[in-house]
Amino acid sequence: MSETLITLERVCKVYQVGEENFTALNDVSLEVGAGAFMSFVGPSGSGKTTVLNLIGGLDRPTTGNIIFKGANLEKMSRDQLAAYRRENIGFIFQTYNLLPVYSVYENVLFPLILNGQKESEVRERVNAMVAKVGLEDQVNKKPAQLSGGQCQRVAIARALVKDPLLILADEPTANLDSENSRQILELMQELNHEYKAAVIFSTHDERVTRYIRREVRLEDGRVSWDKRRNGKEIES
Amino acid sequence: MRDKARFLFPFSVVAIGVALVVALVGFMEGVFMGMIDMTANLDSGHLRLVNKAFYDEEHLRPLDRALASQRETREWLLKNSKAEVDWAPRIRWGAILDVPDEQGETRSQTPVVGMGLDLKSPNSNEIDRLRLKSSLVAGTLPKGVNEMLMGVQLAEVLDASVGQSITLLGQSFDGGMVADNYKISGLVRFGITAMDKKMVLIDLVDAQNTFYMEDMVTDWLGYFPPSTDFDRYEEIKGSISASLADWTPPKDWAKDDSPIVLSIRDQQNIGAIMDKFRVIKGFVVGIFTFLMVLVLWNAGILSGIHRYGEMGLRLAFGEPHWRVIMTLAIEGLWIGFLGSVVGSLFGGSFAWYLQEVGLNMGDSFAQTGLMINDVVRARVTVGGFIQGIVPGVFASVAGTLVASMAIFQRSEANLFRELEAG
Repeated sequence: MSETLITLERVCKVYQVGEENFTALNDVSLEVGAGAFMSFVGPSGSGKTTVLNLIGGLDRPTTGNIIFKGANLEKMSRDQLAAYRRENIGFIFQTYNLLPVYSVYENVLFPLILNGQKESEVRERVNAMVAKVGLEDQVNKKPAQLSGGQCQRVAIARALVKDPLLILADEPTANLDSENSRQILELMQELNHEYKAAVIFSTHDERVTRYIRREVRLEDGRVSWDKRRNGKEIES
Repeated sequence: MRDKARFLFPFSVVAIGVALVVALVGFMEGVFMGMIDMTANLDSGHLRLVNKAFYDEEHLRPLDRALASQRETREWLLKNSKAEVDWAPRIRWGAILDVPDEQGETRSQTPVVGMGLDLKSPNSNEIDRLRLKSSLVAGTLPKGVNEMLMGVQLAEVLDASVGQSITLLGQSFDGGMVADNYKISGLVRFGITAMDKKMVLIDLVDAQNTFYMEDMVTDWLGYFPPSTDFDRYEEIKGSISASLADWTPPKDWAKDDSPIVLSIRDQQNIGAIMDKFRVIKGFVVGIFTFLMVLVLWNAGILSGIHRYGEMGLRLAFGEPHWRVIMTLAIEGLWIGFLGSVVGSLFGGSFAWYLQEVGLNMGDSFAQTGLMINDVVRARVTVGGFIQGIVPGVFASVAGTLVASMAIFQRSEANLFRELEAG
């Protein structure tokens, strides 16, 4: 078993919707190891995005704890959470969310600049990452000049370029056709092996489940099962 | 700047706003300062030494309240003011002009206001001060004895022309009646309708002779170099007033003569007008700034919505809120600065054009009787640019910051969700 990267301890998240409370996550506990390649699956409203937000430090649980390498996110200030995300987390989005006025190169460079690094120091690294996702010929193009699959490759390069410990990918294949989805998932699988960054998907795309090593199903904010590729299944 | 959609609009708002403020302030400053300068040059001076008794009844032109001992008074003024002040003696008078026909009978007659001023001394600045050479539309400046310059419209009313002999009927220093013949040496277009219709100018010495005022003047007008601050007027006025208290008057002065020093602010309600002008100018600049902030605030909100993707992304990637806001403020600063520079160029150019060419509003002023030059001109000043640029930059930064409060108050998770919603 690999070293534990994240631990969720009895995490609940309740949103107030108008006069009523909506429980998005209810008493969720689980561990994610370093280098994991896993997915949260489930129908809409089951709590997939909420759990990603909590792990990513974008939101705080109503009760329970989220521990990242021994540090409790609940005890971190807003700026500390920002630093946590900056240093440890890469994000991949369903809609890519590339900056339209930046080129491929600049989009990949963007998180490094936010980290306070100089462009001249990281130029080779950015170019290498662009090449790694197969876009070396498109490096100066703007997102509008790229296909959906190419945009998602840029997003993957952008997430990986700062060498994070964890990548959170929210429905990364939802806007892609089958062939592009397959290519993206194979690329992510390959990069997961190579860079050892844990990848957590949130998806209801069944094609994704063929590539992952662990699948956690959420229903009404609870873990209904936690299935691992080695055949071990934990009913919750 | 690379995102033209979100750069051009706020940039244009700032540029247009600053251009309007710079042009408007330049125009207002020009019209107002033109009026002040004109009033100072013709009538009030920047400073004025006058007998209080004359000043209290100056609408009656009480020549018996003039100040005697012209030479001693000048020496005292030179000693007790500053070298930068140029002192000019004047005699204000009122009279009736009578134009005779070929038989010597009255052909036309009208009351006029007149000024006796030094038109013949080689070191006198009065001709330049009143721009008489360039205002002359016919004839010449007075050179000989008893020659007169007449407002061009007054000449039309009197049906008089250059070279015509004319009789001046008035009251002398000692209360008697005077009648003296003058020759019209030139016709002058002062550019101020009220003066063109009513004003005549004669040399100071001629006036002293006509009104039996040897070695006497009604006023000493002090002039500062251009662009001297109004505060300086008050400063010198204060120092002269203090010296007046210890002054032993010349022996020819009447016992009840009581000279006072006035600045232009003290005369003809100009101080109150100046204060009102400053308030109005402040309002104009304030309203433009407020409108710019409003528009830029909305532009900032629109841009913020347009940029939720970028903001959400930056926050998700771990950029602290304060840094996002600071980046926006710096962007606002740049947009404000660039917009202000371009706006200043446009507004300044327009003001400069109005300064050099002017705008003839003689028809509008014809009935007012105000001492305003018919051709109004803007005045390009450093202050005008500052009053445009500072609010322009402020509006841009403030508009961006007010708009960014919405982003600041949103949690990362909300932005993330909105980001995903596209």
